[in-house]
Amino acid sequence: MSLLTITHLKVHFPTQDGMVKAIDTIDLEIANSERLGLIGETGCGKTVLGMSIIRLLQPSTKIEGEIWYKGKDLLKLSEGEMRKIRGKEIAMILQNPTTSLNPVLKVGDQIAEAIQLHQGLDKRAAREKAVEMLESVKIPSPDKRANEYPHEFSGGMKERAMIAMGLACNPSLIIADEPTKGLDVTIKMQIVKLLKEVSRRKSMLFITHDLGVATQICDNIAVMYAGELVEYAKTEDVFKNPLHPYTQGFLNSLPNMGLKPIRGMSPSLIDLPSGCRFHPRCDHASAKCTIEHPPMVEIEKGHSVRCFLYT
Amino acid sequence: MIEVENLKKYFSTGILRKRHIKAVNGVSFQIERGETLGLVGESGCGKTTIGRSLLRLIEPTAGKIIFDGIDLLHLKKKELRRLRPRMQMIFQDPDASLNPRMKIGDSIAEPLKLQGGLNKVEIKEKVSELIETVGLNPEHVNRYPYQLSGGQNQRVVLARVLAVNPDFIIADEPTSSLDVSVQAQILNLMNHLKREFDLTLLFISHDLEVVRHMSDRIAVMYRGKIVEIGSVNEIFEDAKHPYTNTLISPASSLEDQLIFEDMKDAWDSGCVFYPRCPFNTVICSKKEPEMVEIGKGHWVLCDRVT
Ligand SMILES: Nc1ncnc2c1ncn2[C@@H]1O[C@H](COP(=O)(O)OP(=O)(O)O)[C@@H](O)[C@H]1O
Ligand SMILES: Nc1ncnc2c1ncn2[C@@H]1O[C@H](COP(=O)(O)OP(=O)(O)O)[C@@H](O)[C@H]1O
Ligand SMILES: [Mg+2]
Ligand SMILES: [Mg+2]
Repeated sequence: MSLLTITHLKVHFPTQDGMVKAIDTIDLEIANSERLGLIGETGCGKTVLGMSIIRLLQPSTKIEGEIWYKGKDLLKLSEGEMRKIRGKEIAMILQNPTTSLNPVLKVGDQIAEAIQLHQGLDKRAAREKAVEMLESVKIPSPDKRANEYPHEFSGGMKERAMIAMGLACNPSLIIADEPTKGLDVTIKMQIVKLLKEVSRRKSMLFITHDLGVATQICDNIAVMYAGELVEYAKTEDVFKNPLHPYTQGFLNSLPNMGLKPIRGMSPSLIDLPSGCRFHPRCDHASAKCTIEHPPMVEIEKGHSVRCFLYT
Repeated sequence: MIEVENLKKYFSTGILRKRHIKAVNGVSFQIERGETLGLVGESGCGKTTIGRSLLRLIEPTAGKIIFDGIDLLHLKKKELRRLRPRMQMIFQDPDASLNPRMKIGDSIAEPLKLQGGLNKVEIKEKVSELIETVGLNPEHVNRYPYQLSGGQNQRVVLARVLAVNPDFIIADEPTSSLDVSVQAQILNLMNHLKREFDLTLLFISHDLEVVRHMSDRIAVMYRGKIVEIGSVNEIFEDAKHPYTNTLISPASSLEDQLIFEDMKDAWDSGCVFYPRCPFNTVICSKKEPEMVEIGKGHWVLCDRVT
């Protein structure tokens, strides 16, 4: 059964230079206990999608569409109702722990604060729970560590603390935004293993540009390009049988797949290319691709692609 | 081309209780003319410090650096300045190495002006030539760094570096801040330029796969020491040091006791890798291993192997 259903979502930012069409248009479902990977290059709209779900975008943002979660359209909730869901039902583990952990608060206190807010525990109990959470993300000597400030933690430890904070209220849906970015390989693998463990029996939207990491964790993968999805498939199918020329190009540019780059650059989200958004960089583009915008079509069961090569 | 012998760089930190960080703790290696040596290791292991020491952007604590027969550490400031153009460094973040208020064209012209010898028209010609060499468009000349993407700015950095005709380039994680497809473009460009301009390269990265594609030989670094050095094949097919194996297949070394990050202080006696090593013995904690050549050009720092 589906836990989260996004339909016809558009997120636009009015700016001096014009309207930035960060999301245009996304339809997506996340099932109960599904771990869905969202991959795509910098600036394609991954973080904005995550932020739209927990509604942390600035008020001037233009949002259209629906985001259904357990029978409610999140986009229609009041800020007060949303506050009860954010952190408790849906938690976002943000990119860049250095900026999202408060530098002047002890790590344990930060986690305890989140717990107190949502679970109505008293200070002492919240504090005990915080230490428990640090232990669950395998931070050594957690009761001692809880009394330290974020700058005393290494990169991998900070990421663990962020995960502990995200999980503190036992959410049903975790949105993890590039949690392994900038970490060394061995530490990255440890975080991947941890995320896999803690997301068991939960749903997760796992945002990353690291395909290697996505394959370790995710059941399905959605590939995003310039504000929309261009391919959706089971994780192994994305590797074995990538259909969209962008997905193929993305795979081929990985160091262990031969370092063959995709020519050109990601398009501006203010001035999107006509027709298929990938056509200026695509080796298979025909006249039709420059004019018509291809729809997302299910080619095999559970494998959809937005490309005229297959329709 | 480059010969480094027992290079050390200690930093002292702390105001009350002085503490020495042995950022680079006795490393030796050579790079042949036209060769690319990859230097790989986790963040904080001392890679950037080696790069900066080679150019004397920082003063090494001890050791010997010979560049093309010249003993760098005994050069006077003035002699060093004359040598500078021949050795160049590219850093991870292109935005930080470009002046944000300078147009791209002026940025590339700057080193040419500093070097002297060319008039205005010649400089302009040379800039256009460099712009084309690194795959930018003529219209980019009048733009500012913020108007270009990270990948394009890294091309500008490459153009600036090539402007002074260097022999030796240190590339310090030049693509770590870029997306994979852009990374592929820049790495391919670097390989192409290396051949075209007959460059010698020290290629620094924390990504072993990237280093594999760029290098002839690879040096693996851990906590201030080079623990293994060998050809790409030797490192990938016949790695001897336990740490090299950890990097090659990180999934196999995921035991929870390996939460080593906690140990901020360097291991002071014995082998640097001792606390994380799955094969460690009592001796390893006491006796410091020595670099041993186990095959031609294949060196390992591990007593258990040698
Ligand atoms: N508040 C904002 N105002 C204007 N543009 C924005 C804003 N937030 C994000 N964007 C733009 O939206 C696009 C998508 O951004 P983001 O979701 O952060 O990308 P990523 O896929 O790298 O996470 C980018 O082009 C970004 O510049
Ligand atoms: N200027 C400095 N002062 C004090 N410590 C430094 C300085 N530069 C680097 N270090 C320390 O030296 C070690 C090696 O750093 P670095 O060479 O930057 O590593 P890498 O490039 O491999 O990530 C680190 O512990 C770092 O904190
Ligand atoms: Mg993002
Ligand atoms: Mg560095």
